[in-house]
Amino acid sequence: MSEAVRLVVDGDRCIGAGQCELAEPELFRVDDDTAVAEVLGSGMLALDRAEVVVDRCPSGAISIEEPAAD
Amino acid sequence: MTSPSTSPSTAPNVTDPSLYLDGMPHGRFAEMRETPGLVWHPYGDGGFWAVTRHDDVRSVSKNAAVFSSAVGHTNLWDLEADALEARRSLIDTDAPDHTRLRRLVARSFTPRNVRRWEDTVRRIAAELIDEFVAAGGGDWVELVAAPLPIRVILTILGVPMTDAGYLVELSNYLVEGTGDRQSIPPDAFGNTTELRLLPFNSPASHALFEYGERLGDQRRRDPRDDLVTALVQANEDGDRLSDQEYRNLFHLLVFAGNETTRTAITHGAIALADHPDQWRRVLDDRRLVAPATEEILRWSTPVMHMRRTTTEPTELAGTPIDAGQKVVMWYGSANRDDRVFDRPFDFDVGREENPHVAFGGGGPHLCLGAYLARLEIAVLLEEMARRSLLLERRTEPVRAPSNFVHGVLSVELAVATGRAAIAPPGGDSR
Repeated sequence: MSEAVRLVVDGDRCIGAGQCELAEPELFRVDDDTAVAEVLGSGMLALDRAEVVVDRCPSGAISIEEPAAD
Repeated sequence: MTSPSTSPSTAPNVTDPSLYLDGMPHGRFAEMRETPGLVWHPYGDGGFWAVTRHDDVRSVSKNAAVFSSAVGHTNLWDLEADALEARRSLIDTDAPDHTRLRRLVARSFTPRNVRRWEDTVRRIAAELIDEFVAAGGGDWVELVAAPLPIRVILTILGVPMTDAGYLVELSNYLVEGTGDRQSIPPDAFGNTTELRLLPFNSPASHALFEYGERLGDQRRRDPRDDLVTALVQANEDGDRLSDQEYRNLFHLLVFAGNETTRTAITHGAIALADHPDQWRRVLDDRRLVAPATEEILRWSTPVMHMRRTTTEPTELAGTPIDAGQKVVMWYGSANRDDRVFDRPFDFDVGREENPHVAFGGGGPHLCLGAYLARLEIAVLLEEMARRSLLLERRTEPVRAPSNFVHGVLSVELAVATGRAAIAPPGGDSR
């Protein structure tokens, strides 16, 4: 089980292709009016699955949030 | 400065439309894939970098900031600035213009929203298959592959079905426009626009624009629950398409929504007829409909290339590329790359890993209609399987002289239904 990371969507880059929703329907939903992907809930996902979503996003709008430095 | 000299003058010219009358030049593509770096391919007064390996197609697709769609053109030839502007659509834009245009239409094509069309697609597919069986077979393109996608996209757009034949006719003329001969004069359909300002340099584009404008006017006056109404109305941000943006998008949806899926369905049917063992696997296990759909997409590769133009000096596969050079991705080659696909020239409906680039290699220009195309192909396979339909090829396919659309103009298929019609394994008697 790989570590969990938080995924975030850059709404300015999203083109609403829906690849994220197809890959992780529990975590993403493309809004029917704005056609921008939204993160549902915490946005936390295992690193290996998160990397797949990041790679599949056609517009490069999804990224893994850098953990806050402490 | 790079010195382009890698393509021997005797090598087949993969931009020659007539080459495609004999099918995709897979031999030449294989040679280019095996050549280290990128191959410089002459074209017109200059040339382009031919990108033929899967990995490199993905790299170009995903780096839209360096490999631009808005500069020059996405087809092989350059357009003058006014022509590029007049034709500007989703295809020929970069972010942020592309992002805005894409979002205005994206919501109709998300996986979730496309699923709502499944019953419509199934009804149309079942009707066409039943007619094809009743006729005892015939030209698969005319009877099934062309009408299915056009009826689906016209239903979604809200175009009356009585006009389907007219729009298929216009679409056929557009494909001719990607080749080197057109069968209609420049003033066909009352066209007075210079051909260089029209998509595919075709007077049929003028007719399609006029049709779309009339329909858009009607929907502004009398809104309905269809895509044309959605396109002519503002979205919730108050943004709306300009008249020219609407016109070009309508054109794109009609063309891309039928010509490409038609091509996939045609090559798919030919492959299933030529590989009865593969079709038998689908009949025996309907869970193979999904991987068979992906294999048909890989096998057919309806759109054979797209071009990008570099915005800055860069490097790909070890080859330095100057700013402002043409880079052409050959999807049909990438889809036969044995670095990625095991036995790439085998048609295998059970392929587990199938990262084909029939919808492009990722990146922001990933095919808008990808889920709709998948739905149409999968539902057609299901309806064929439900009838235990067996296709047999009667003629060689008549191919389109185009280096852009992997088109088939006609192919005669015969048909048998029912389990008894299906030869036992190893009993293929041809």
